[in-house]
Amino acid sequence: MAPTPCFNCKEARAVIIRPKNRHKLCRACFINIFETEVHETITGANLFFRGERVAIGASGGKDSTVLAAVLKTLNERYDYGLDLCLLSIDEGIRGYRDDSLETVKRNAVQYEMPLKILGYSELYGWTMDQVVQQVGKKGNCTYCGVFRRQALDRGAGRLGIQHVVTGHNADDVAETVMMNLLRGDLPRLSRGTSIVTASDASDIKRSKPLKYAYEKEIVLYAHHRQLDYFTTECIYSPEAFRGSARTLIKDLEKIRPSSILDIVKSGEDMAALVPTGVSGSGKQMAGAAEDESAGGCGSGNGRTSGGEMAAMEKQLTENDAAESRETEIKISNGGRAIRGPTGKAVKAQTLKHCERCNYISSQRICKACTLLDGLNRNRPKTAIEVSVGMEDEEASSTLMRQMERAQLSAT
Amino acid sequence: MPAKELNKPCMDCKNAEFELIVRQRQLCSSCFRRFIAHKVQSRLSVYRAFGLDGPRNQLLLPVSFGVSSSVLLHILYADRQARLSNGRPLGYDFHILVIEPSTVAATGSPFDKNYKALQKNFPMPAITRIPFYSIFDYVPEMQEIMKEYGGPQFTDDSSRSNGERLAAFRASISTATSKTDIDTILLTRLVAEFAKKSGCESVIWGDSDSRLAAKALAGVAKGRGASLTWQVSDGISPWGVRFEYPLRDLFKAELLQYESVCAELSDIIVPDQPPSDNVLTKNLSIDELMLRYVQNQGAKYPGVMANVARTANKLNPSTSGSAPTCALCAGLLGNVTGNSGVTVANQAEDNHSSQFCYGCMRSRPGELC
Repeated sequence: MAPTPCFNCKEARAVIIRPKNRHKLCRACFINIFETEVHETITGANLFFRGERVAIGASGGKDSTVLAAVLKTLNERYDYGLDLCLLSIDEGIRGYRDDSLETVKRNAVQYEMPLKILGYSELYGWTMDQVVQQVGKKGNCTYCGVFRRQALDRGAGRLGIQHVVTGHNADDVAETVMMNLLRGDLPRLSRGTSIVTASDASDIKRSKPLKYAYEKEIVLYAHHRQLDYFTTECIYSPEAFRGSARTLIKDLEKIRPSSILDIVKSGEDMAALVPTGVSGSGKQMAGAAEDESAGGCGSGNGRTSGGEMAAMEKQLTENDAAESRETEIKISNGGRAIRGPTGKAVKAQTLKHCERCNYISSQRICKACTLLDGLNRNRPKTAIEVSVGMEDEEASSTLMRQMERAQLSAT
Repeated sequence: MPAKELNKPCMDCKNAEFELIVRQRQLCSSCFRRFIAHKVQSRLSVYRAFGLDGPRNQLLLPVSFGVSSSVLLHILYADRQARLSNGRPLGYDFHILVIEPSTVAATGSPFDKNYKALQKNFPMPAITRIPFYSIFDYVPEMQEIMKEYGGPQFTDDSSRSNGERLAAFRASISTATSKTDIDTILLTRLVAEFAKKSGCESVIWGDSDSRLAAKALAGVAKGRGASLTWQVSDGISPWGVRFEYPLRDLFKAELLQYESVCAELSDIIVPDQPPSDNVLTKNLSIDELMLRYVQNQGAKYPGVMANVARTANKLNPSTSGSAPTCALCAGLLGNVTGNSGVTVANQAEDNHSSQFCYGCMRSRPGELC
């Protein structure tokens, strides 16, 4: 069979079938098109300004590695004038982070960017391994997600940087849309798709330049540019709703490859249709603080533990039972309320600062501090007093060495 | 004190042996029917708000001979008969519409037997049966729309019958997902146009809770998130008639239970085909995938699935009243008000210069995916 020519340049031999639209492309055209699309996203959304210092949330995985490579390329090609650096979080999962952090360190050298590594043990006094020891394997992604979210912001704060970019791709965004629909979480549905989450309340702005990039294309890009990244999956299973949504999306992609973007499109539309009482003026701010707070980590393979779904099921059944007991009362004044948006009951959120750590939160105490409370309550007394210290008895000496090295390379 | 000595009394009337368990309650068949009917009636009570002398609303009830719409018919009919015999005001009345199933799915003989049974068991003043291809009569511009939509993949031959032309159009659409998608759109449109022509204020759809959840998920997966406000929520449709989903509080399994205690329905209902196990996921339609997903998950987590439809029902209808809409499905073109800048719709190559919405463009003949 004769080789198919590239759909774009019609000259070179096509070696790639784009997962997004099944165009057959040559290597050079694919890389160029991929980069141009990210560039269009960046310029269309006015993500950056000249001279801005930007931290790339780097995990050593494919998404953040591709993000770093593309941003470096685009920064030079289109002269964005950005000051880029890498920011890594060490969750303290043995066998998962050790190698990927080595990758990040190599990336820092390859892309000539400064690197800062921040550990959970340093920030919270708990490594993820310790958390799992304490809470078991179910629901630990909640801790990881909540802790990481704040960790990136705090890390950026320490570096004096106002803008963190993350490697969330279209698959992640689609997954979040589906997950929030399954969970019935309207506030998050209203903000999960926005490309930038920033606020007056927080100094740190977050954005996802790869929001429209397919995970499969990110892998292809990394492969064809021979990027140095680390392939691994988190050894702890993802949260059930996310796992369920992930499995669903993998099936959808098999049926209709465009469905990932179609879901993102639906998500964007629905976000605008969420009643204002729910999304409110705090829409963007809440995003900065709590987006994906209960989410997983974007890896894993869709195994479902089912704990969260079962818990929600129980709650809903109880609500239902309670509601059926009050039927009589509702009938007398019900009737008309069914019609129109006024009858639709919704929960509103307001934003405050956490009383403990001053992080933005819709509650009095932010999610991370609440989780930490729960953890610390069950910990031997000696450790409670050193919740943020390096003296933590279990902080490994390897980690401390890594930290010191990271600080050296960051300066 | 119970009137009779019973081994397992019904938890409501305590006057009969229980036959069914619904929502952890053991009920006799008449209490069960009352429970189900109450869930439906409370959804439609708004149409009775005018009381004795008020105008009577006319609703349109499309019946597909499936379980859900037939059960809904049974409930409404029983209520109507009870009111007539008691001399109570009806409040609303309904018109039955059957779109002949043999013109929708190419499965042999017409459903005459079922239709006759429907006329016999539910002798309503207004029952109409129309073929699917009568969409050309109810929507005169449909030929033009189809021609435009089908593009080069579809050639219309005006010398052929309406039935053949509709079949040709449907055959030009390639994938299972797109076929189901377009069929649903055309059927919905036909029902809505019929409702308008026959003076009905609202269409009452027989979608169960499970079905609505699957519809919501499938709608999102097909890029039709903005249309959920009338495809899943109770609300005004783009054609000016309201869409109501009075079965939204009932699971499919409960409707099957209801069917089992109603002998009048057995001649009418065409049982669902059991889902085949040997279909590759990639050959399923998205609607079917979601239906299976909701069924599988619903067995374990019925409340979570029910909550999906409830969540979708909380969305506000789009405020962009005068915004241009899709010629085929009447969904919004481009973005919902409030979205601008970089969005999927703005990036789509086929976004501009099209009279069709994002979701419809995905199902177009010749679309690769």
